[in-house]
Amino acid sequence: MPAPIIELQDVSKLYGFGDATTIALDEINLQINEGEFVAVMGPSGCGKSTLMNIIGLLDRPTHGFYTLQSKQVARLRPNQRAKIRRDTVGFVFQSFNLLPRLTVLENVGLPLAYKGMLSGKRVKVASNMLERVGLSDREYYYPRHLSGGQAQCAAIARALVNNPKIIIADEPTGNLDSASSRLVMELLSDIHKTGSTILFVTHNPELTRYATRVVYMHDGSIIHDEQTKLGEVANTALRVMYTLPTRTEEDDLAGVSALMKAVPSKDATRPEKKPKEKKKTKPKSRSKSKPTKRPTRSKT
Amino acid sequence: MSSIMRGNLRMAVSGVRGAKWRSLLTMLGVIIGIVSVVTVVGIGEGMKRQIGQQINHLGKDLITIRPGKEASVLDKTKANRDIVFGMQSAGALSTKDWQVVSETSQVKLAVPLGAVSGEVTFEDVQLRSGLVLATSSAMPEVLNHDVAYGEFWQPDEEDTNFVVIGHKVAEQLFDEEAPLGKSLTLRGEKFIVRGVLSPFNALPVSPTANFDSVVFVPVKTEARLTENSLQFYVLLAKPQNAGLDQTVAAIRERLTKAHAGEQDFTVLSPKDDIVASSEILDLLTTWIMAVAVISLLIGGVGIMNIMLVSVSERMHEIGVRKAVGATGRQILGQFIFEAMVLGLIGGLIGIIASLVVSGLLYAYTDFDPVISWEAIAIATVVSLMIGIVFGALPAIQAARKDPIEALRHE
Repeated sequence: MPAPIIELQDVSKLYGFGDATTIALDEINLQINEGEFVAVMGPSGCGKSTLMNIIGLLDRPTHGFYTLQSKQVARLRPNQRAKIRRDTVGFVFQSFNLLPRLTVLENVGLPLAYKGMLSGKRVKVASNMLERVGLSDREYYYPRHLSGGQAQCAAIARALVNNPKIIIADEPTGNLDSASSRLVMELLSDIHKTGSTILFVTHNPELTRYATRVVYMHDGSIIHDEQTKLGEVANTALRVMYTLPTRTEEDDLAGVSALMKAVPSKDATRPEKKPKEKKKTKPKSRSKSKPTKRPTRSKT
Repeated sequence: MSSIMRGNLRMAVSGVRGAKWRSLLTMLGVIIGIVSVVTVVGIGEGMKRQIGQQINHLGKDLITIRPGKEASVLDKTKANRDIVFGMQSAGALSTKDWQVVSETSQVKLAVPLGAVSGEVTFEDVQLRSGLVLATSSAMPEVLNHDVAYGEFWQPDEEDTNFVVIGHKVAEQLFDEEAPLGKSLTLRGEKFIVRGVLSPFNALPVSPTANFDSVVFVPVKTEARLTENSLQFYVLLAKPQNAGLDQTVAAIRERLTKAHAGEQDFTVLSPKDDIVASSEILDLLTTWIMAVAVISLLIGGVGIMNIMLVSVSERMHEIGVRKAVGATGRQILGQFIFEAMVLGLIGGLIGIIASLVVSGLLYAYTDFDPVISWEAIAIATVVSLMIGIVFGALPAIQAARKDPIEALRHE
């Protein structure tokens, strides 16, 4: 078996000093092989984003070793890290993070510009990438003129434009409605098929059906790690999720509408096999899965 | 690299345009600084050129003898420059002095200039802003100047009622008519216009006495009119073949003897004049330059301030750029470039404004500023440098920012 593309060894991240120290990541050990499509789940504040930022070289661990493509990268200098971000990692953010003063095409071409590609070629490459995400008719729009789903697709195009080995998406569907979420996940799924390694954070158990592996985190540690089949919601996804403490903001982050919360609570342990059905039944399966959270919340 | 630069340029220009007022106010310091530097240098250049023209025109060997002791630079220059007012306070030279200078063996020619009070009228028209000067027939030769129409009076006509007028006097009094042979009234006597001088393209002797609006009257006639109380404010002399310095020394010696050992006069060669003029000019330039440098510094601090604001406002953008792979140096470049554009636009506005100011000075004052290409080039470079120097700190701040911290800013 080839060496894993991402290997974390006892990676910790601490914030603050002395009594006020917060442990965001607690000696994480994680190996991700090339071509995996990893979903990372867990409650807010469990360290998912910190983990993503460290893997994406935006942040550096306080302790531990990080090997990316068989290279030690935890202690590299900022400029070298920037170059790895540019060439190896593509970032997709929850809030899209397109630059408002640049057109969609320029946003997508930005990583190419930092690579030093000439403007003519840049436009061509960026334009191809936009075509791939289905936005070729929006090239000269500004981000404010796009819908959420379109903006996220543009952001994905930007993440893809340098042909990175790894795509890191931190709650890519967090700000999107279910139709756009599906659009974005299908897009990531397509990218996965071309051989990219993808990590994404989600609160929505539904979306684990796109993943080949689901990692569950709690309080800075990985508490469960399972392989799943493509197209199926991970077995433990629902169960593990709902025994974890949740907060109201998180429900919002998960894109749950207030209406669904208003539905009377049901038995929390009721087995959820429904999501296995089809995407068409998504609203239904959600309405059932969501209320199950309520009792657990009262537990905390 | 160039493609990033072009992108940066567009970003920077759109940034400036997006916050027009803020940018304009930011640039104000630079604009004022550049305007003052360029204008002052222009005025200085213009003055130097005027002096140079004056020397070239009058000849490099024109010796001026003025009443009064040689004083400090400032006083001397004031006396030098102001034939009418300066001289009155300093006393006067007499007809006898003129004789002494003329009879000095090294002197080829000497002419006196004496201001005469009294109004000049032609029919009902009165001469405004004119000046009546008594001089002798050798004046055109000494000043190396031509008579455009008619002729100057001859040496044997020093006691006749002839006058020769500057071309502006001709324009003013006679309008379109030919002035030759017409008669002017001065102190109740009629004077016949004998000639009209061609325009002076340099102001001889003093910048405040414009020889184009002077009525020249023969010195003996004037002496008769003023009952021999005529006094000269300046004597002009041309040396014989002898050297300039020697002639100056000889004149000084003879005049001292004539004044019974008292040196209450000043003999100057053109060199002294230039030295005095450029000394005062340098002093003035230094002062205004100091003001301009302070203004440019303030302008630079303004740019720094606004760039700091811009950096903290766009922290999130910096985070995004770093996340997609911008290195610290690329971020640094972007912000320095933006500060440079601010400085440069300020500089260009300043240059345009100083051209306008110089134009106004030229039109409404006696200044004749010359704005050279070098001055414009230097102003442009200076404003660019201000952008770079004062944009550096905010840009370094932006470049050093941790990407994840920057991304957390909203």
